[in-house]
Amino acid sequence: MDGEDFDPTLLKKKKKKKTFDLDAALGLDDGSKKEETKEVANEDATAANEIDDNLDLESFGKKKKKKKKAINLDDLEGALPKVEGEETQGEEKTGESMDADEGADVDAPAADYTYDELLKRIFSIILDKNPEMAAGRKPKFVMRPPQVLRVGTKKTSFANFLDIARTLHRLPKHLLDFLLAELGTSGSLDGNQQLIIKGRFQPKQIENVLRRYIKEYVTCHTCRSPETILQKDTRIFFLQCESCGSRCSVASIKSGFQAVTGKRAAIRAKTT
Amino acid sequence: MSIQNLNTFDPFADAIKGADDDVQDGLVHIRIQQRNGRKTLTTVQGLSAEYDLKKIVRSCKKEFACNGTVIEHPEYGEVLQLQGDQRENICQWLTKVGLAKSDQLKVHGF
Ligand SMILES: [Zn+2]
Repeated sequence: MDGEDFDPTLLKKKKKKKTFDLDAALGLDDGSKKEETKEVANEDATAANEIDDNLDLESFGKKKKKKKKAINLDDLEGALPKVEGEETQGEEKTGESMDADEGADVDAPAADYTYDELLKRIFSIILDKNPEMAAGRKPKFVMRPPQVLRVGTKKTSFANFLDIARTLHRLPKHLLDFLLAELGTSGSLDGNQQLIIKGRFQPKQIENVLRRYIKEYVTCHTCRSPETILQKDTRIFFLQCESCGSRCSVASIKSGFQAVTGKRAAIRAKTT
Repeated sequence: MSIQNLNTFDPFADAIKGADDDVQDGLVHIRIQQRNGRKTLTTVQGLSAEYDLKKIVRSCKKEFACNGTVIEHPEYGEVLQLQGDQRENICQWLTKVGLAKSDQLKVHGF
């Protein structure tokens, strides 16, 4: 989505009108959206089409006359930032099918804003206005990537550790035990609630470990649903699925054998 | 890595575990630990005591061109310790020589 494909003049006008119309549209079909992105996409598309109809129909899509492009580009970019940001999934699916009718009944402006761009735009607006939708859209947790930074030369900070534990609905302690056992190291939460891990680790590596954690302790082993509860029964943890009701034991977290590295005096880390 | 997670859930897994007299689960745990700097260390825990670990470490050292040793641990028994990240190597080698099946290997680490 580069500025070059747009006719800036059109865009500006369109923009203003559009936001109004979209707002209205949003208000209208707010309810239905929550369940079905596909439907939303369709509605949005029609909304977008209507808007396009309101616009000047003189210039044709094929013509790529960009009269005042240079001047307006900045404004454009200033006005557009949200569109670039979010990517949603539903839009892709409906994208192609809708393209056709759009070409049919809307002429000029269609070429300036591609369908995808319009769609992206409306989705970002929808999300902006209904933050709670972000959760409903994807049943799977949208986990923010771990924020992992080096601290000094031999320590790593995992800043949003608690956040992630919360997103996964697991006790921080449990996740911590797993992380440390897997990484074969030690660590603890510091005053700022970030996890300080001994050793150097890349975000990617932490992510790998998290992924394994999720596989073993978060998603249901039978149906893969993340709506699960981890229960401790005597000494074994069980993963109870809220969706399919399955219940199975999960591996207990053990750091197992730990080689003595560095200072020999260092005492072996705890075993869970 | 996480291949074991792809396996379907075995309802008798616990029974198998219980039957094993080993400290743990009859799995061979392959772990990696960071040492100072970029250096790492690979440990192999859970190889059956019937095997001659000294012999194994000798051939591993040769095969992977790394140093290694066997550590006697009160709880975990004899543990193989190799310098560097030999996780891939050791997995391949153990399966190749038939000391363990790939589903018995549990690789830890990042
Ligand atoms: Zn389930």
